[in-house]
Amino acid sequence: MAMRYLAGPQQHASIATNQIMLQVVYACAPGVAIATWYFGFGILLNILLASLFAVAFEALALHLRGLSPAPQLQDNSVLVTAVLFALTIPPGSPWWLVGSGIGFAVLIAKHAFGGLGQNPFNPAMCGYLVLLLAFPLDMTTWHVPNAQLLDGQSFTPFSWNGLRQSLLASFPFLIGSESTLAPYIDGLALATPLIEFKMAGTSAIFTALDTNAAVLGRAAGTGWELMNIGYLMGGLYLLYRRIISWHIPVSIIVTVSAISALLYAPHSFAIYGTPYLHLLGSATMLGAFFIATDPVSAATTTRGKLVYGLLIGCSIYSIRVWGSYLDSVAIAVLFGNFCAPLLDHLCRPRIYGHRKSRRLSAMQEQDR
Amino acid sequence: MSSTNFLHLPHQQLRRRKIFGGIKPAPHKAASLRSRIMPMPLPPQLILPINQYHGTNSSPLVKVGDAVLKYQALTEKLDHTGAALHAPTSGRITAICSAPIAGHPGNAALCIHLQCDGDDNSLELQPCLNHDQLTGFEVLRKIDAAGIVGMGGAGFPTAHKLRLAIEHGTELLIINAAECEPYISTDEALLRERAREVVIGAELLRTACHAPRCIIAIEEDKPAAIAALRSALAHSPIELMLLHSTYPTGGEKQIVQAVTGLEVPVGQYPLNLGILVHNAGTAYAVYQAVAEGKPSISRIITLTGRALQTPKNFEALIGTPAAFLLKLCGVQEQHHLTTVMGGSLMGLQLAHTEVPVTKTTNCLIAATVEDFPQPEPELACIRCGFCAEVCPARLLPQQLYSFARTHNHTQLQSYGLDDCIECGACAYVCPSNIPLVQYYVAAKQDLRTLSVAREQSEHWQTRFQFHQYRTKQEKDSARERRIPTALFPVELLPTDSSPITSVQFSRQLAQQEIADAVARANAKRISRLATDTQMPQHPAKDKE
Repeated sequence: MAMRYLAGPQQHASIATNQIMLQVVYACAPGVAIATWYFGFGILLNILLASLFAVAFEALALHLRGLSPAPQLQDNSVLVTAVLFALTIPPGSPWWLVGSGIGFAVLIAKHAFGGLGQNPFNPAMCGYLVLLLAFPLDMTTWHVPNAQLLDGQSFTPFSWNGLRQSLLASFPFLIGSESTLAPYIDGLALATPLIEFKMAGTSAIFTALDTNAAVLGRAAGTGWELMNIGYLMGGLYLLYRRIISWHIPVSIIVTVSAISALLYAPHSFAIYGTPYLHLLGSATMLGAFFIATDPVSAATTTRGKLVYGLLIGCSIYSIRVWGSYLDSVAIAVLFGNFCAPLLDHLCRPRIYGHRKSRRLSAMQEQDR
Repeated sequence: MSSTNFLHLPHQQLRRRKIFGGIKPAPHKAASLRSRIMPMPLPPQLILPINQYHGTNSSPLVKVGDAVLKYQALTEKLDHTGAALHAPTSGRITAICSAPIAGHPGNAALCIHLQCDGDDNSLELQPCLNHDQLTGFEVLRKIDAAGIVGMGGAGFPTAHKLRLAIEHGTELLIINAAECEPYISTDEALLRERAREVVIGAELLRTACHAPRCIIAIEEDKPAAIAALRSALAHSPIELMLLHSTYPTGGEKQIVQAVTGLEVPVGQYPLNLGILVHNAGTAYAVYQAVAEGKPSISRIITLTGRALQTPKNFEALIGTPAAFLLKLCGVQEQHHLTTVMGGSLMGLQLAHTEVPVTKTTNCLIAATVEDFPQPEPELACIRCGFCAEVCPARLLPQQLYSFARTHNHTQLQSYGLDDCIECGACAYVCPSNIPLVQYYVAAKQDLRTLSVAREQSEHWQTRFQFHQYRTKQEKDSARERRIPTALFPVELLPTDSSPITSVQFSRQLAQQEIADAVARANAKRISRLATDTQMPQHPAKDKE
C-alpha cells in the first residue's frame, strides 16, 4: 500500500464499487415491494435463497481459485447478481431451482471467465437462460396473484397463508400434506401479461391493459404495470446517483416504444401488442435499468452504449412478437453482450488532437 | 514553418469552451490563502541541482570552496535546452556532488551545495525603468540571462520556448493562471497581491514573441485574484478570460482548448497552432528579470496540508530543503503522514524531506490521514466507464487498463496510451481504487524499454551476421589460397546492387559482398598478390 502514494492522485472521489453494488440492490426495492404485494412472499424467498446460495458459491469459487474470499465478497457484486436472478425466476420457485441457476451464474458464467470484471456475459441472465432451457415448465409456472379462477378457494398472496404457501413452494420437503397446495402452483402457466397476449389475445387481463382499466386492482396485468413503475423509479434513482448513465436505458426504452408504436394497429393488438404492454406489461424496465446496464458485460463507450441499447431494444421486441419465447429480455441482453466488445471497438471516441479516425492513423503509423 | 494554416486568432471573438471530461475535486486552497505571501528567512544551506529540468544541459561555473555573492551565476547552459542558475544568497560552495532530489525514490542529481553566510551580500542589480520601450530581442536576452524556466511544472526554459514561438510565428499568447489542481494556490496568491507585476510580465512576454493578442486565463472560482487582475488590466490591451473550474483545465493542451476551442494536433505543440502558453508565475519571473534585473532565484510555493499549523505561500529561495519550509510552517510530526510535492492529483510523494525546492516546485503538502486517507484495497475493474467520462484526452482508461495488465502493446498504442497526460482524473473517480496512472506510467516505460531493446537487437543481429559472414569469408579465402587454380566465374554471381533493407539483411548482401570480394581476390591473384586479401566494408555502413 505504501507504493500507492508514490504517483498519481493522492485524493479520491468517495463512491466505491461495493457501494455502487449496494445502491443497485437498494434501487430494486420499490419494484420488489410491489411484486411482493402482488405475487406474495415467494419473490422475497427467491431473493433470500439466491443471495445465500450466491455468497456460498462465490466463496467456494474464490477458494477454488486460491484467492482470499474476504475482499472480493465485500464488493457486493454477487448480491446484485443474486437479486437480479431472483427477480427473473417465478416467485416461490423450489430451492433446487434457485440454487442450480445461481450456481451456474456464479461458478460458470462469472468465475470460470475470471471473476468480477472479466465475464463477457451477464451472469444472472446466463443462470436464467440455463434454467429456462433445462426446466421450461418450472420456469414458466407462476403464482396466480388473485386465484379466484381456481376451484372456489380464495388465495391472497400477501397474507400468512400466502407466506406458508410460498415457503412450501420453495421447500416442498417441509410438509407432507402438500396435496392441498399443489393446484395453486403446478400446471398453471402464467408468466407475464405477455403470455396472455401471446396465447389468448382477448383475455380479460389483456383487455384491462388495453383500456387502462383497474390500475389499482389486484389483477395480474396491473401488478406488472405497477411493478414496472417501481423498477422505473429505482432506475431513475440510479440515474440521479450517477451510478448508471442514461444512454443504455433511454436507448432501449426509446427503441422499444418506437418500434411498438410504429407497428401498433388498434385492431390487431393481438399480434403486435400495444406500446403500453411492451413497456409496462413485461420485464422491459427491469431489463433496461438493471440488467442491460451491468457495466461489466455492456458496452462502455458513449456511442457504443447507444447502439447497444438499440440492439437490445430491437431484439426484445422481435423475440416477443415473432419469436417463440414469452419474454425476451434475457436473450436480448445476452445478444447485446455478444456485440459489446465489437461496439466498443468501433465506437471509440476521437482522442484529443487526433483528426482522423484512429484506425487510419494507426495504419499510417504502420506505414511509417 | 509558415503561418498559412493559422486561424486568425487575433481577430476572432473568443469565448470560453469546455474541455473534454474533467473532474471537480474539492479545492483545499483556502487554508494556504489565509495569509499573504511571506518572505523566508535564510536556511543554513541551499542545495541547487545543476539541471533544474530533466532535459536541460548545464555545467557549473564555480568550484568547491568558492565564495559567491547573491545573484552570481553558478552554472552556464551548454545548449538551448539549458538555463542558467544563480546564487540565491551569498555564501561558500561546500560541495558539488550527487544529492537526492524529488521524484521517485533513489532519484539523485548533481547539486551545488551552498553554505549560506547569512549576510546576503549581493551583486548590484540593474533595474530597467523603461521596460515598456525594450525591443523583443532585448527582452528575450534578459529572460535568457535570468535563467527563467516554466513555473507551471514542466520547467521548459522560457527563452527557448520564446525563440521557437518566434520561429513559428505567434498569434496568441495565453497566460495560464487556471491553477486547477487542488491544494496549489501560488498563482492565486500571486495574482491577488502582485497582479500589476504579472500583467507587466505578460506584456513583456508578448513583446518578446511578437504576439498580437494576449489572454490571461483564470478559473472563475478565484474572485480575489480576478478582481485584482481586472483593476491591473484597466488600461491594458490584454484580455481576461474566466474559465470553468474543472480539473485539468490548466494543462497546456487543455487550456488551449478551453480558450480557443482548438485541439493541439497529436505530436505537435500549441506553437504549431500559433499559440504560446506561459504560466502566470513565469510572467512574474519575467517581470522581475526585465524590470528589476533580478535573475530567477526564488519562486512562490504553497505550503499546505493539515499537518501544518500555519499553511501559507512562501517566496522561497531555489534550493531550500523542503524540511526547512515545513518547519517554518510548524509541522506537527505526530500527525504528519507523508509529504507530497505538487498538487494532490499529480504530485509525487517524497521519500524524505531533505530534497530541495527547484524552479518547478509549486507546492508541498504535509498531509495527515484526513488529507489523504489510506486507500481502500484495489478491487476488480467493473468497466463502469466513469474514467472514460472524465478523461480530458478522451481515452478509454478501462480498456487501456486491461491492455496494460495483459501487456498488449499493440492495443495500448492503438488506444492512445501516448496521448495520456497522466492527469490522474481516471484514478480519482475509479470506484475500485485502481491506481490507473501507475499502470500507464509503467506501460509507457515498458514501451520505451521495448523500443530501445528492439533497436539494440537489430544492431546486434547485424553485427552477428556480419561476424558470421566475415568468418565464412576468411575461411573461403583461405581455401582459395590452397587451390589457386580455382577461379570463380565472376560473371555468374549476382551483381545487382539494389538497396538492401534492414529486414532482409542478408543473403543478398552477403552474396553481393562475396561476389565483390571474389572479384577482388581474382584480380589480385591474377596480379600475383594473392596473399593480400582485403577486408570488405562493414555492412552496417553499406546499409545506409
